[in-house]
Amino acid sequence: MRLRLHIWRQAGPDAQGMLKTYDLDNVSEHMSFLEMLDVLNEQLMEKGEEPVAFDHDCREGICGTCGMVINGRPHGPLARTTACQLHMRTFKDGDEIYIEPWRATAFPVVRDLVVDRSSFDRIIQKGGFISVNTGNAQDGNAIPISKTDADRAMDAAACIGCGACVAACPNASAMLFTAAKIGHLASLPQGQAERFSRATNMVLQMDAEGFGSCTNHYECEAACPKGISAEWIAAMNRDFAKAAITSRD
Amino acid sequence: MRTFGELWRSTILTKWVMAITGVLIVLFLLGHLSGNLLVFVGEEAMNEYGVWLRSLGHGTLLWVVRLGLVAIFVLHIVSAIRLSAKNRAARPVSYARTESRKSTVASRTMLLSGLLILAYGVYHLAHFTWGLTNPDFYNQTDALGRHDVYHMVIASFREPLIVVTYLLAMVLTGLHLNHAISSAMQTLGVSHPKYVTIIRRLGVGLSIAIAVGFSSVPLGVVAGIVK
Repeated sequence: MRLRLHIWRQAGPDAQGMLKTYDLDNVSEHMSFLEMLDVLNEQLMEKGEEPVAFDHDCREGICGTCGMVINGRPHGPLARTTACQLHMRTFKDGDEIYIEPWRATAFPVVRDLVVDRSSFDRIIQKGGFISVNTGNAQDGNAIPISKTDADRAMDAAACIGCGACVAACPNASAMLFTAAKIGHLASLPQGQAERFSRATNMVLQMDAEGFGSCTNHYECEAACPKGISAEWIAAMNRDFAKAAITSRD
Repeated sequence: MRTFGELWRSTILTKWVMAITGVLIVLFLLGHLSGNLLVFVGEEAMNEYGVWLRSLGHGTLLWVVRLGLVAIFVLHIVSAIRLSAKNRAARPVSYARTESRKSTVASRTMLLSGLLILAYGVYHLAHFTWGLTNPDFYNQTDALGRHDVYHMVIASFREPLIVVTYLLAMVLTGLHLNHAISSAMQTLGVSHPKYVTIIRRLGVGLSIAIAVGFSSVPLGVVAGIVK
């Protein structure tokens, strides 16, 4: 198939970027979206042009490294699908495709489609972990956890930190990411000791990074490749308020 | 230990302020609406209600409520402007293309509908509370010497421009509440798979009920049901 691609090109963090148009022929419907970009890059390099920079790693939808806004939707048109798992059969011959980086103050563009997501790392550093050693597998298994709680924790832990929630949010808010990380640990007994200081510190860091606030559009849960529910945001709102009023930490 | 002053500036607590003041405004609107609907009962009920409102607590309670309402609206509006400014700063470069999936016209226009409702609210006070815009309608007394609320309302809603403005304001209010009610519940952490759908439907239902309820008064006058 033949495609017309409009891709954001930006030489560096402080450079002026713009959408550039590329025509790409002989695209196989079996290619993944990233393989399609690989083919484009080969052609660009043969012509002596700079290839399009984009993040990618596992290419099997589990690492959270890839991510670009494809035709106005993070990771493209399919629900619960990362850009690397999106295949060209989703598109048809003659389609025009707009490819843009995540847009957020807290995700500055490094180059082309690559953004710096270390703001997520700094949120995690504020409490997205359990400080106490939980021991070996055997010790972990000694703590009874209901199947419901374990499944719920896993639902939240499915977050791969790709940033699609921020990219989709009209306010560039990181509430779904932060809520998933807080909620995952708050669902388990091991997470209780630091539950409220974690909620406080991670939310304050989220604010400090320059993410927007949540206005409950729910674009985040629609865009999330792991289908994480905005219900986690309500749970975080509860925990943060409870911590603000009652915590002595 | 973090002080409350530190946490107060967080987006989540600012949102809590928005949500709590929003819930109080909805309760106020329901109280206001219940008074307005007395127009369908008749002149006696409406004018008597006006006297009763002003006499509560020897005239002090109305002022307590009024000052409380001013505080609530100021908190709601100041929080909204602070959060909106932060949200705009969070995305300095917009997308060339965006496709929304779950957001609605109501959710995307909250600031605009809110500011328009505020502008209308000031006019509404000038009209019905301060008697500035239509003093002839305002300065009427009934046979018992009471402020004639009933005929003020009827005279006002016989003016097409006032009716159209009022109905437009109610459409905006309905639109704003359409997103606001369930949104406030989510912000206050009231969400559970058992009742999240019910809350969202109740929010939409209540927003329509409030908008239709207020609109019924001018429509009743136009239709000649209230004379």
